[in-house]
Amino acid sequence: MRKTLNVLVALALGLASFAAAQTPPAPQGQAGVDELKKAAVRVFLDCDFCDTEYIKTEITFVNYVRDRLEAQVHILITTQATGGGGVEYTITFIGQNDFKDAKDLQKYYSSKTDTDDDVRRGLVKALKLGLMGFVARTPIAGRIAVDYTPPNRAAEGRDRWNSWLFSLSGQGRFSGEESYAERMIDLSVSANRVTEASKVRLGLSAERATQEFELEDGPITGTTESWNASGLYVWSLGEHWSAGASAEVEASTYSNTDLAASIAPAIEYNFFPYSQSTRRQLRALYTLSLKAVRYVEETIYGKTEETLLEEELSLTLDLREKFGTVSLSAEGSNYLHDFSKYRIDLFSILNLRLYKGFSVYCFGGYSWVHDQLSLIAREPTYEEILLRLRELPMVDNYFVAVGFQFQFGSIFTNVINPRFGTSGSGGMRINIH
Amino acid sequence: MRHPRKILAALLLTLAGLAGLAAAQAPPPGPGAPPPPRPRVFVDWPGGDVELLRKEIPFVELVPELAGAQVHVVVSPQGPPGSGKFGLIFTGLGEFQGDDNALTFTPEPGAGPEDVRRGLAGRIKLGLLRYAAKTPVSRDLTVRFLDEAKPTAVNDPWNSWIFSLSGNAFLMGETQYRSGSYFASFSANRVRPELKVQTSVYYNQNDTWFDFGDGTTYDSTTHGFGASGLVVKSLGEHWSAGGYAEAESSTFANLDLGFTVAPAVEFNVYPYSEHTKKQLRFLYRLGFTHARYIEETIYFKTSENLLQEALTCAYEVVRPWGNATIRLEGSHYFHDFSKNRIELETELEIRIWRGLSFEVDAGYAQIHDQLSLPAGGASYEEILLRQTQLATGYDYSLSVGFNFSFGSTRSNVVNPRFGNGGRSISIGM
Repeated sequence: MRKTLNVLVALALGLASFAAAQTPPAPQGQAGVDELKKAAVRVFLDCDFCDTEYIKTEITFVNYVRDRLEAQVHILITTQATGGGGVEYTITFIGQNDFKDAKDLQKYYSSKTDTDDDVRRGLVKALKLGLMGFVARTPIAGRIAVDYTPPNRAAEGRDRWNSWLFSLSGQGRFSGEESYAERMIDLSVSANRVTEASKVRLGLSAERATQEFELEDGPITGTTESWNASGLYVWSLGEHWSAGASAEVEASTYSNTDLAASIAPAIEYNFFPYSQSTRRQLRALYTLSLKAVRYVEETIYGKTEETLLEEELSLTLDLREKFGTVSLSAEGSNYLHDFSKYRIDLFSILNLRLYKGFSVYCFGGYSWVHDQLSLIAREPTYEEILLRLRELPMVDNYFVAVGFQFQFGSIFTNVINPRFGTSGSGGMRINIH
Repeated sequence: MRHPRKILAALLLTLAGLAGLAAAQAPPPGPGAPPPPRPRVFVDWPGGDVELLRKEIPFVELVPELAGAQVHVVVSPQGPPGSGKFGLIFTGLGEFQGDDNALTFTPEPGAGPEDVRRGLAGRIKLGLLRYAAKTPVSRDLTVRFLDEAKPTAVNDPWNSWIFSLSGNAFLMGETQYRSGSYFASFSANRVRPELKVQTSVYYNQNDTWFDFGDGTTYDSTTHGFGASGLVVKSLGEHWSAGGYAEAESSTFANLDLGFTVAPAVEFNVYPYSEHTKKQLRFLYRLGFTHARYIEETIYFKTSENLLQEALTCAYEVVRPWGNATIRLEGSHYFHDFSKNRIELETELEIRIWRGLSFEVDAGYAQIHDQLSLPAGGASYEEILLRQTQLATGYDYSLSVGFNFSFGSTRSNVVNPRFGNGGRSISIGM
């Protein structure tokens, strides 16, 4: 074994010196290089959350364009959480225009313990390797060197933790000025085990938030508190079906809940195979939950505690395509003791690149709310309303964000100029993760 | 009230327990195990130089026959005879099924047979990288570009100008509460290595409406608009010079209309070309402002001319251990040096040890320059809804967070069943 290694190392050293000797100067000097660059692959990098400045400074043998239709390669990067708490980056290379016949798919996995720098270097490496199949079609290919260092490491060892991942996190946020202060603290701990066959999630979290105003006739303080403990188990039943159950205990001053405990079996059907989930999902999830709840104050229905049976059906569509992102969900639930106590929630994310330079987005949600069983019987105070410390009676609520962007002019975005900072560069950035 | 405290205690106990467990973490696998296998490739190149390929492409294992190969490469002459052009067909087999590519190689005119063979071997090497990237061998590969190409070496009829028009509306509400925010902007930017030009015009508006349930309602509108321009000339790897021009109107700031022109100069201790890794920048700005106020200010002014100087020092670093940003800014007016402001902002994200990381976000400002505060003060609702600036000598914000993870942190399993955390959206201007 050691002999082979030595031979490999010697071979590598030999190759390295060989490569150094063989590195020819650019054929026609800088002018020649610039000519090669003009004919380099045109790339559209479709990734909101990437460090694009870093990518553009590290990978300089392609040209970056701002519109997908101008590109020869559309690089679509989608992400999913991994069982180890990291991220799976699926890098889809889609050939376009004169590269229509070419495609590739590469994966890069970051770990939970990676820093931003680790992740961006890993992504750049995966991008470089995947790009080579396209770069090899352009004359600049002759100016690319590949180094290989034969490994003297062993293959990965086995996992002694049997896929369990434990995590503890906490955050405190404090802000204020002379007449105003805000404090927020949260803590959470989780234990998860994610395998192909099953998924276990256990978690505990607590949160406290306080706002303080100094007014002429004395201070006003508003506080909300909540905590939550939950568990979920999901069995995989083939490419389309899953079954599971969850249990939860929680309390919240905002929702007038002193203590609530629930158990809920559930079943899910995905119209697309689960293996395509990074690009496409259409999932229907049915949940039946039994909940015992004790209130802080008497409710408008005159209850201080009750036991409830509730059913819920949700439909979720997630698509990530070349033309953009489509994410729609509809959720309906009702209590079984009184069918008039129901709610319906609709939610949508649309971010579409409709035409050259023109994109639109629409995020929106609408809820019909007829199930506010925990509302307090008394009138909330003026401050409770303004500081939003209490859930208020409502029949519906909504939010909508719509917008468009139209860009024209130069298609290239190769240049990075960090002088005087890079903020306020104009235009709009939408980040869907 | 008593529940959160109990939970806190439970969390702390769990933390202590987890720390003990982490100490028992598995050691990395020792040496001696076999290195990961290389992809097996069969190259079908009649008259080809297999020895050259073996030397040039050490990251694959060249096999003598198709059986057992994971990649099949066919090299054959293409095009009219005598053109010298070659076609390279890559076909994935087994686990690489469907992973195909086709390349061509045309030697330079007058290239000798040795150059042709070497050029072909180079193309085969690049073509094989996509397969190697999908195996553990990828960890030992590095791709380098041998030259430095100018980012501006492109055929661009627009000469680097990019124009952008955007309009946005954010609306939300429930039975007793409604709010709306609107934002529109047009920008024209030209970013070149030697000169950066950024211009924009914008308008924004915020509406809020409350129903107190007893027949009374409250509603209000704040709005602002303005234009800004920035020109920066590059003076070598460390110096830049430029200027800002701004026009602004804002009901939040009691500003009917303000004009500012400000020449500025910047020095970066590190070369600008390393800015994605580290920068330490000093920016000096001298600003002349003419301001007209909506209401008379606490200093009994309805308009005034102001001269202000500001110095900003910013340190940013992104490294394998984490990232840090520290920004310190001081400014004062010339007509009265006691009208000044100092701001400090820091952001730190540090991996201390394996799965333990810390995040700190802190800001502090000492404020003695609120020249535009209206003399009339603010209403009870304006204060609670934070719709107008208030007199203050300071403001601060601090956010500290930590995360400690251990266990199977290298697990790459993805299980999307019952949802995998959902999507998050953020919109930046």
